[in-house]
Amino acid sequence: MSDPAFLTIAAASKLIAARELSPVELTEAYLGRIAKFDSLLDSFVTLTAERARAEAKAAEAAVMAGKPLGRLHGIPYCLKDIYETAGIRTTAMSKLLADNVPTRDGYCQEKMAAAGGVLLGKNATWEFAHGGPSWDILFPPARNPWNRDHSPAGSSSGSAAAVAAGFSPATLGSDTGGSIRGPAAACGIAGLKPTYGLVSRRGVIPNCFTHDHAGPLAWTSEDVAILMQVIAGHDPEDPGSADVPIPDYAAALTGEVKGLVIGVPIDWLEKESPMTPATKTAFDAALEVFRGLGATVRPVTLPPLQQYDDAKKIIAVAELFTIHGKDLRTRPELFGASLRYRIIAGGLVRAEDYIQAQRLRTYLARAMQKVMATVDLLMLPTSEPAGKLEPVPPASLFTRLSLTTPFNVGGNPALSICNGYSEAGLPFSLQIVGRLFDDATVLRAGDAYEKATPWRDRRPSL
Amino acid sequence: MTDTPSQDEIVRLARQAGLDLPAAYMQELVEAYSHVRAMVDRLPAGRPHGDEPAHLFVPQKFLPAKE
Repeated sequence: MSDPAFLTIAAASKLIAARELSPVELTEAYLGRIAKFDSLLDSFVTLTAERARAEAKAAEAAVMAGKPLGRLHGIPYCLKDIYETAGIRTTAMSKLLADNVPTRDGYCQEKMAAAGGVLLGKNATWEFAHGGPSWDILFPPARNPWNRDHSPAGSSSGSAAAVAAGFSPATLGSDTGGSIRGPAAACGIAGLKPTYGLVSRRGVIPNCFTHDHAGPLAWTSEDVAILMQVIAGHDPEDPGSADVPIPDYAAALTGEVKGLVIGVPIDWLEKESPMTPATKTAFDAALEVFRGLGATVRPVTLPPLQQYDDAKKIIAVAELFTIHGKDLRTRPELFGASLRYRIIAGGLVRAEDYIQAQRLRTYLARAMQKVMATVDLLMLPTSEPAGKLEPVPPASLFTRLSLTTPFNVGGNPALSICNGYSEAGLPFSLQIVGRLFDDATVLRAGDAYEKATPWRDRRPSL
Repeated sequence: MTDTPSQDEIVRLARQAGLDLPAAYMQELVEAYSHVRAMVDRLPAGRPHGDEPAHLFVPQKFLPAKE
């Protein structure tokens, strides 16, 4: 067997069930790589090594005793440091929460633990999952394992870097405007923003209530499907949680995409947010793969990208201020400069403007579902390959259009996967968007593409 | 909203919102507000009455959890 740290969840689970791989051996493989390499990447802010060893030992004992095994039995994972964990510091990378130790696990952590997972620790994020990258907050920003001079993007930065680097096969992040998909794209892994309401946000420190999504990141779409099976479901304690049937996501991965109709929002990609030639070449090649697998590709027209961006950001800045207003008024110096700049003007957004932005969201979400009724999926790049890890003007949040944010506005499921590498060796990314609550088709398409292409065979070298 | 407020006006609005900030942070706010204001000014006016806010009160959400 090759290095167990590079096994997928699917492969490791089979080996564990067959008693060919011990959860203890698997956990030690990850802890060993973290100890050796994470000083290069800063992807973890808190390591729970002793707890992980104890959980792995218990998992091994359960296997040997022939007990029933959960979906993640003996599988290590980590959590973005905005997921509340009982007895484990949860900081959101902020000086404001430097000593915050929750007394209760959040919903997703409860589910991951109940499924038999082994918690390795907490991952670096941008401050409160919004402002960054920053060098004036509680911990340094994570780095990109494909090239440490480059950014892993944000805000689930450490989560994506850890999976790509072989520090963990699984992690959970959050996505308010692209914070799962952007880091997944930059680090060449798979990351799903599920349909809004499908995964409970209870116990995830909020960024923007009306756009926050919790979701999984892993090396493959198949592994993301396994994680979704664990964390998707109704939670009455999350007011945004949807009470809908949960399909068998892994069973949906048939490898078949024949007959699917794929829409490409061509005006966004040619006029409002033009792709670089290299990204366009990689995107066109990915569409060609889907055509070869029997799908049909055609252009679609959505409302302007700018409108999606404006609606989301007006709502977000007002909600962020609502969450952080007390601290901004009394101890603004404890915020990193990037986050403070990005939220402080929220105190001046009028109720009328917030509500008008919410009304615009209604129109934009309806328009998106109308287009989605004519196709099975949308496809577009997630982002350009990762830029350098360096301070960025905080105003860029307001001025730079995002190809991920519209699907937070619409609530639609959106998966980012790797579709090749640039000349500099940095991953390209493909975003696959589905109809509301049809996350299974999104994952099916991602899995089919990954199995038809060689991109999952390459790992970053540290 | 169409008239761009002056810096003094923004500072007054900030203080009204309880943000009595040190000068450096107040300057950050003035600059950041210009971007927020630009977004607000781009919001299309004249929405149909049927375009209610995306997040509405849904009473079922507040029923006690089933046993």
